[in-house]
Amino acid sequence: MNEIQPRLVKCFQTVFPDLREAEIPSASQASVSAWDSVAAITLVNVVEDEFGIQMDFDLLPELDSFDRVLEYLQKEVV
Amino acid sequence: MWVTVTEALKILQSAPKEASADFEVLLACGFTPLHLQTFLAAHLQRHLRERWVRISTGLYGDLVGTIESLAGRPAQGAAIVLEWPDLDPRLGYRTSGSWGQEALGDILPAARAMLQRIGAAIERIPPGSKVAVCPPTLPLPPLFHTAGWQAGEAELELEQSLAEFCAAIGSRAGVLVVNSRRLAEESPPIQRFDLKSDLLTGLPYTVPHADAVGGSLARLLAPRMPKKGLITDLDDTLWSGIVGEVGPEGVSWDLASHQALHGLYQRLLASLSGQGVLVGIASKNDPAIVERAFQREDILLKPEHVFPVEVHWNAKSGSVERILGAWNIAADSVVFIDDSPMELAEVAAAHPGIECILFPKGDYAASHAVFRRIRDLFGKDRLSDEDALRLASIRQGAAFRQSGEDGAAPESFLQQVKAVVSFDFGLSTADPRVLELVNKTNQFNLNGIRYTEADWAAELAQTGAFLGVVSYQDKFGPLGKISVIQGRAAGDTLRVGTWVMSCRAFARRIEHQCLRVLFDRCGARQMEFALTPTAKNAPLQEFFRGVSGEKPEGPVVLTREQFCEKCPPLYHEVTERQENRSE
Repeated sequence: MNEIQPRLVKCFQTVFPDLREAEIPSASQASVSAWDSVAAITLVNVVEDEFGIQMDFDLLPELDSFDRVLEYLQKEVV
Repeated sequence: MWVTVTEALKILQSAPKEASADFEVLLACGFTPLHLQTFLAAHLQRHLRERWVRISTGLYGDLVGTIESLAGRPAQGAAIVLEWPDLDPRLGYRTSGSWGQEALGDILPAARAMLQRIGAAIERIPPGSKVAVCPPTLPLPPLFHTAGWQAGEAELELEQSLAEFCAAIGSRAGVLVVNSRRLAEESPPIQRFDLKSDLLTGLPYTVPHADAVGGSLARLLAPRMPKKGLITDLDDTLWSGIVGEVGPEGVSWDLASHQALHGLYQRLLASLSGQGVLVGIASKNDPAIVERAFQREDILLKPEHVFPVEVHWNAKSGSVERILGAWNIAADSVVFIDDSPMELAEVAAAHPGIECILFPKGDYAASHAVFRRIRDLFGKDRLSDEDALRLASIRQGAAFRQSGEDGAAPESFLQQVKAVVSFDFGLSTADPRVLELVNKTNQFNLNGIRYTEADWAAELAQTGAFLGVVSYQDKFGPLGKISVIQGRAAGDTLRVGTWVMSCRAFARRIEHQCLRVLFDRCGARQMEFALTPTAKNAPLQEFFRGVSGEKPEGPVVLTREQFCEKCPPLYHEVTERQENRSE
């Protein structure tokens, strides 16, 4: 489970290249201007690529911060 | 899938943001472009490593408006992606318009009218922009009365209107249409549509399909250079059997002998030759026997399709070396085909960069794959008059060199060839051969800079711009358009930014004639050449060493006096013309 966070940081770096690594754990849709609806879908695809899982578009409204995506992955990724 | 979303993003992040030139593409589609935009950009970026690819998009649901916007802000390229709802929203899933027979009576004429509007908008795109069009790729919604396995009248009418539209726009210079059948191989139709994504995000494509469409468009907008020459083996490749053992009448390539694979290969090579691909032969054989085989009336690859023919018992790498010399092209522009893995390995080791293909004798499926691969390697979007002349001019060049070596002194030989050098100084972007020559030539190329259609149009639009397109012929026949020189006049100086000449035209002093005509025509005191020495332009460097007296390290300034002092006697008849600008 400890491996999930650094892998998720990599995902955020891929989708939000202008975000500094230290800023990523506190990133949220409210704090990152580039995190629009297009970026949210792209983030889902990149997370799918990284973790080999399928995520549902219905989850998009809930996955609005790094913490929430991490929480989701900790439940879904074995 | 070629790349994932993650890989595509990483390709884009590694793009050279400080690149000397952008490659700007307008992506026109009626839906939310999302991953399609990412994949298109990534595939283009992979093709155009030295440029920074930038994609702009239009408004959701306004395909025609987006295409029309190109008239006011031309880009290097436009990727136009049609889907059925662009022709009528009722042909999609995101509107509540009714389906059914009554609606169809209205949908069909509306779709035809929209295709006309889209076609007219494409017509208005400035000629400098390259346009790639992807016809609808998604299944039609279930609005027809027929079962899905029956193509009903309305559906067929719709398909017919689309086919007519594609044929019309595809005939326009600079407009290229994605091959739907090839796309279907790479992205099976049943795996393309994502209804949930369509309804929730506005992108109707699955991720793999967005990747496939983006890749298809990128291949049209930034195509790789086609190969120029094909060298083939004979025994068990061009024909079935060992001609030295069974004799000229014993080898076969027809259906009756169950050896039609070889006949198909011959037909393909003859067709390529007709399109300007150079075809040569490298075979370990008795030349007299091979000559008799080529005299058979039923042979499909005729002797006139082939030059040169290297038939002897020495190593094939040597044969390839001589053929490359006769063609005057590099190994990386050539494909070598043989049924022997050992021969392929020997040639590959001696000529790095040459593309070696095993002829899979007796294997029908593998042969079909090879034929398709050959088509892809040599495919080009348009044929030019020069393509038809190429093989004849290579033969002509050999005859030219042979005559020069047959005892006549170079000066008297050059005097006798009745050479005519023709200059066209019209500032036109209409002839695709001109840019093709600029972008394909390596050896006599001032700096190796490659131009997009838009770059080229911008160069010609500059104040003081000039363009000289040079054609050549002599008593051995025409070489067609063989040189392009382009730049700007600034006061009494001509600044030459582009100068290329086909290697087929070497040793005729055409390069000297180019400069003499330019000096005379423009009354310039000097010329400045934006020369950059490259790994391949040694012949051009050698020319400048000859006229300036020193090996060039970078840009060269040549005065009229310097040139006149070093210019050898020229015996060409010169013609000049300047056609009106036509774009």
